Amino acid sequence: MPLDFAATLAAATAQASSTAFPWLSAAILFPIAAALCIPFVPDKGDGKQVRWFALGVALITFLLTVGGYLNGYDPSNPNLQLVEKVSWLPDLGLAWSVGADGLSMPLILLTSFITALAVLAAWPVSFKPRLFYFLLLAMDGGQIAVFAVQDMLLFFLAWELELLPVYLLLAIWGGKKRQYAATKFILYTAGSSLFILLAGLAMAFYGGHVSFDYTELMAKDFPAKFQLLAYAGLLIAFGVKLPIVPLHTWLPDAHGEATAPVHMLLAGILLKMGGYALLRFNCQILPDAHAVFAPLLVVLGVVNIIYAALTSFAQRNLKRKIAYSSISHMGFVLIGIGSFSALGSSGAMLQMVSHGLIGASLFFLVGATYDRTHTLQLDEMGGVGQRMRKMFALWTVCSLASLALPGMSGFVSELMVFVGFATDDAYTLPFRVAVDGLAAIGVILTPIYLLSMLREIFYGQEKAELVAHTQLVDAEPREIYIIGCLLVPIIGIGLYPRLMTDTYRATMEQLVARDERAMKALNGPVGSSALIRQAPLRAPGLG
Amino acid sequence: MPSPAELAWLIPVLPLAGACLVGLGLISFNRTINRLRKPVALLLISCVGGAAVLSYAVLAQQLAGAAPTEVLFNWASAGSFTLEMGFRVDALGAVMLALVTTIALLVMVYSDGYMAHDKGYVRFFTYLALFSSSMLGLVISPNLLEIYVFWELVGMCSYLLVGFWYDRDGAANAAQKAFVVNRVGDFGLLLGILGLFWATGSFGFEEIGSRLQGAISSGSVSTGVAVLLCLLVFMGPMAKSAQFPLHVWLPDAMEGPTPISALIHAATMVAAGVFLVARLQPVYVPFPQVQLVIAVVGTITLFLGASIALTQMDLKKGLAYSTVSQLGYMMLAMGCGAPVAGMFHLVTHAFFKAMLFLGSGSVIHAMEEVVGHEPVLAQDMRLMGGLRRWMPVTSTTFFIGCLAISGIPPLAGFWSKDEILGQAFGSFPLLWAAGFLTAGMTAFYMFRLYFLTFEGSFRGNDSALQAQLLTAAGKGGDEHGDGHGHSHAEHPHESGWQMAMPLAVLAVPSVLVGLLGVPWNSRFGQLLDPQEAAEVAEHFSWGEFLPLAGASVTISLVGITVAVLAYALHRLDLATAVAARFPAINRFLANKWYLDEINDKLFVQGSRKLARSVLEVDSKVVDGVVNLTGLVTLGSGEGLKYFETGRAQFYALIVFGGVIALVVLFGVLG
Repeated sequence: MPLDFAATLAAATAQASSTAFPWLSAAILFPIAAALCIPFVPDKGDGKQVRWFALGVALITFLLTVGGYLNGYDPSNPNLQLVEKVSWLPDLGLAWSVGADGLSMPLILLTSFITALAVLAAWPVSFKPRLFYFLLLAMDGGQIAVFAVQDMLLFFLAWELELLPVYLLLAIWGGKKRQYAATKFILYTAGSSLFILLAGLAMAFYGGHVSFDYTELMAKDFPAKFQLLAYAGLLIAFGVKLPIVPLHTWLPDAHGEATAPVHMLLAGILLKMGGYALLRFNCQILPDAHAVFAPLLVVLGVVNIIYAALTSFAQRNLKRKIAYSSISHMGFVLIGIGSFSALGSSGAMLQMVSHGLIGASLFFLVGATYDRTHTLQLDEMGGVGQRMRKMFALWTVCSLASLALPGMSGFVSELMVFVGFATDDAYTLPFRVAVDGLAAIGVILTPIYLLSMLREIFYGQEKAELVAHTQLVDAEPREIYIIGCLLVPIIGIGLYPRLMTDTYRATMEQLVARDERAMKALNGPVGSSALIRQAPLRAPGLG
Repeated sequence: MPSPAELAWLIPVLPLAGACLVGLGLISFNRTINRLRKPVALLLISCVGGAAVLSYAVLAQQLAGAAPTEVLFNWASAGSFTLEMGFRVDALGAVMLALVTTIALLVMVYSDGYMAHDKGYVRFFTYLALFSSSMLGLVISPNLLEIYVFWELVGMCSYLLVGFWYDRDGAANAAQKAFVVNRVGDFGLLLGILGLFWATGSFGFEEIGSRLQGAISSGSVSTGVAVLLCLLVFMGPMAKSAQFPLHVWLPDAMEGPTPISALIHAATMVAAGVFLVARLQPVYVPFPQVQLVIAVVGTITLFLGASIALTQMDLKKGLAYSTVSQLGYMMLAMGCGAPVAGMFHLVTHAFFKAMLFLGSGSVIHAMEEVVGHEPVLAQDMRLMGGLRRWMPVTSTTFFIGCLAISGIPPLAGFWSKDEILGQAFGSFPLLWAAGFLTAGMTAFYMFRLYFLTFEGSFRGNDSALQAQLLTAAGKGGDEHGDGHGHSHAEHPHESGWQMAMPLAVLAVPSVLVGLLGVPWNSRFGQLLDPQEAAEVAEHFSWGEFLPLAGASVTISLVGITVAVLAYALHRLDLATAVAARFPAINRFLANKWYLDEINDKLFVQGSRKLARSVLEVDSKVVDGVVNLTGLVTLGSGEGLKYFETGRAQFYALIVFGGVIALVVLFGVLG
C-alpha cells in the first residue's frame, strides 16, 4: 500500500514538473522512496552498511531543500513560491499541492538539516537498524511535507503519518517505560488530531464550494463565532504538539524514553510543527479569532516559561530536565505569536529555528552522556568533567546557548520577543509590563537550572562509584562534528540574525499586518470582546 | 590609511580571533595544543598586545582632541524596527580601552608564571583572551543593547574563569553564584532597557536622555515611571559592580585563580558597572531621586565592604571586600553627579588593586611551596608573616599599594578618593561622613593585611595551626597533614620574573597616575569633560582643598597607626580590646552581615522548595488528570483496541497508579 501511494504521487509530480524542477516534491518523496528501498540494501544486520545509505539519502534531501531555497525562493516575496499543484482525487477535492513561503521555508531547511544530523547521531544503533533508518527517513519526508503542503487534507494526512514513525521509534528503541510513553504519546496526539480533522472539515465545507486549499480557505469569510470555535479546536490540537501547559505531559515521558536521534527529531522538529501550524492556520486563516485569543496565547506563554523552568529545576532526571527546558523555551514562541508586532512574531519564528538547533544539540549530548554514564540521575553523576573534558566543553557551550547567551541564536530570538512585545500597541501598558516582567523571570530561572545541571554533572570531585563501573571516554570526532554542525547556524544567527530573519521577513510582515487589521476591527465601536481585550493604547514617543 | 579610531573594532576582535583559534584547536587537537604552551601564550599575548597598541593610538588621538567616532550597521530588522550595532570611540571609551588592555596584558604575562604548573594553562590563556575581548567590546559599544550583549559575555567569561578549577566544589558553587547573581541584575537591566526603548524609541545614550526629558515634558511618560526605569537599569551595574545587596558573588569569586581575581574582580569586569553608569549620565543626571539612590547604595556598599574586610583572615577575601568598598566610592561619585571623579578613581584603583591582587597571588604561590596546594592554608594570613625577608619585590609593591589605597599623598589613591570625598561633601554631607570614616577603616585593614603577611615571624610551618584551620574548613586535618610537611620547602621564595615584572610595572602608575588628576590642573578631567575641568580649576582654592584633604590624610594616618600598634608593635590587643567586648559586632562582621545566610534561606532554599512543589503538582495533578482520562478511554472502544495488543496492561497499571496517587493527594489535602 505505501508503495502504491508513493508511486501515484511520483507519477503525479512527474507530470507537473514539465517546466521547473519540483524541489519540494522531490524533498518529500525522495527520502520516503529511498526508505522503501532499505530492505534491498545489502547489510549484515549490524547496520554498518545501511547507515551509510541512510546518511546519503538524508544528505541528498538536505541538498534538495537547499537547492529549492537557492533556485526557486525569493525571500523578498511574501507569497507562496516553489508551487507545485496536481489534482489528485478531484472527487474529494484533494490535490497534491506544495509550496513554500516565509513560514515554511526556514522550517523545511531546519528539518532536513536536523534529520541529516540525527542519522549521523544514530550511528551506533545496532538493534533492528533497517527498521530504524527506515523510520528516520520516512519521518524526514513526512515532516517536510507537514511544512510544505498547502492543502489542509494533505496536511492532516502528513500530520497523522508523522505519528506512526515516532510511536514505533519510541515503542521499540525506547527506555524501560517505553510502552507507557509511546502509548501516551499516541493517545495524546491522536486525540488532538481529531480537533484538526473536525476544524479542517468544517472550514473546508463552509460556504459555497468545498476546498482544502490554504489560499482559498484564507479567502473565505468565516463568521466570528465559527472562527472562534475552529480556533479553539485547533489551539488544543497544536497546543499538544508545541506543547502548551497543561497539555504537555506526554513530552517528558516521550523524551524520557527516546534515544538520542529520536530526541533530536522530537525537540528539533516535532515541537515546531505545533508553532508552525499555529501561525499557518490560527493566525493566517482565522485572523478575527486570533485577535480574540491572542491575549490567551500570551498568558499561556508566560505560564509555559515559568512553570516549566521551575519543574525543570526540580527534576533529577537529566532527560526530563532538558525536556522541561524545551517547554519553557517554547513559551517565547507563544508570546511572539500572540503579539501583534512584526518584531515579536519574527522572534517567535526565530525562536522555533533556534530552539530546534539548540534543543537538538542538548538532547544529542544527553544521549552521548548516557552512553557513557549509563545513568540519567543527576545524583549519581558528578565530577565527570575530569575525564570527559571535550564533552564538558560541548555541554557548556550548548547550555550557554540555551540560556540565551548573546552571540548565539537564542538570545536574539528572545530579545526580539521581548522588544516586540514591549513596544506592541495592541496591549495595555500594565499587561505588557506584567508579561515582559514575568517572562524576564525566565532569564533568571534558566541559568539556575542549566548551570546547576552542569555543576552536578561535571564539577566537583569524581564519584568513585561512577568511575569504577563505567568507561568515561571523551567525546569522539563524530560527536564533536555533530555539535559543531549545529553550532555553526546557532552562532551565525547570533552574530548576524538577518541571515535567518530575512528569509521570512516579508511573509511575516504581511501576516502580522493582516492580523493587526483584524485586531483593530475587533476593537472598533462594538466590542463584546472588550472584556478579553482592552482598547489599544498608543505607546508614547513612538511615531 | 584608516585612522586608529576607524580600526577600533579590531581591538576586541583581535583577542577574540586568537581565543577562537586556540579554542577550536583545544577541541580538535587537544593533546597537541596543550603541549604548545609557550607558542599559544605568545600568540594570545600578542593579540592582546596588538589591541593594546591600537588602544593607545586611539587614546593619543583623543588626547589630541579628535571628535568621537561612531560606525553602525543594520543588525536586525522587522517591520519598521531596526536594530543597529557597531562601535563608538570617544574619550571615555579610549581611557577604558587603554586601561583594560594594559592590565590584561600584564595579567597575561603574570599568568605565564602563576599558571606554569597548571594542567589547564592553555585553556586559561584562552579564557583570558576571551574575557579581554568581551570587556573591550563592552567599552566600545555605541548603544545600550550592545552593552547588554557584551555585559552578558563578560558574565559568561567570569563564570568560566571562576569555575576554572572545576574539580573544586567551592569553585563550582562560586561560578554559578556569580552568574546567577549577575543575571538577577541583568533582569533589571533588560527590563530597564526595554522600558527606556518603549519610552524613547532608542537605545542610544544621549538620545534616551534627551527624548526621555521630552517625553516627560510632553506628559506621555510620568516622572515616576522614568525614575523606575532608570533604577531598573541601575540593577545591572549593582550586580556587576558588586553593590549592596548584589555584592555577594564577588568575595566568593575569589575561588578562581588569582590572576583572574586581579583582572576581573578588581580592575576590569567590576568596572563595567561603574562605566555603564558613567555612560548613562545623560539619562541619570536630570533625576535627583535616581542620583540619591545611587549615592546611598554606593555609601552602604563602601561601608559594608570595609567593615567586613576588618575581620577577614583570608588574604584574597580581604582584598575582595576592599574592592567592594572601593567600588562603593566610585558609585558614590556617580551619585554625586561627578562621573569624572568616579572614573578617575576607577582608573587609579584599577592599577593599585591589580597590583595588590597580583601581589597576593605571588604570596599565595610562594606559600603553596610550604603548605601545599590547599587554598584554605595557602591564603590564610594566620600562617603567613615575615614574608618581606624572602619576597622583596612583592612586599615593596604591596606596601606601595597599601599606601595608595589608604590615600597617602602623593600616591594615586589620594587624589581620586579625595576628589570623591570633596564632591560628596558638597552634595551629601551625611554620606561624606560615612565615606570619611571608611577611609580610616580602609587604611587600618590594608595595613593589617600588610603586617600580618609580610612582617613579624613566619608561621607557615606550624602544623598544629594548619590542622586546626583545615578542621575549621571542614576538610579534616589528617590526610593533608600526612601528605604535606616533608616534601615542601621550609620557607617561601620570591616569584619568578614573569610575576615580579608586572608588579614592578604596576607600581609606577600606582604612584604617579594620580598626578594626572590634581584638582587645580586635571588632565584627566580635561580629556573626559573639558568644560567641567576648567570650571573646577577656576574655582579651586587651597583654602577649601587643604582642610578636607588634611582631614582625610589624618584619618588614614590614624587607621595606619592603629594597625601598626596592633599588628606590628603588638601594643594593642584588638582581640581583647574590641572583639571580646563587643562579641555581637564581631560575629556580625565575621559572618559578613549574615547576608549569605539570608540569601541562602530566602532565595536558594525558597526557589528549590517552590520548584519541588511545582513538580509535585505537575506529576500528580496535571499528569494525574491525564492518566485518569486515559483510564476512562480504556473503557471505550479505543481502549479495548490497546488491550488486544497486550500493551495496555502496563498502561492500565500506570493509570491505576496515577489514580491512586490522585486519591492520596486529595486525601492529604482534604
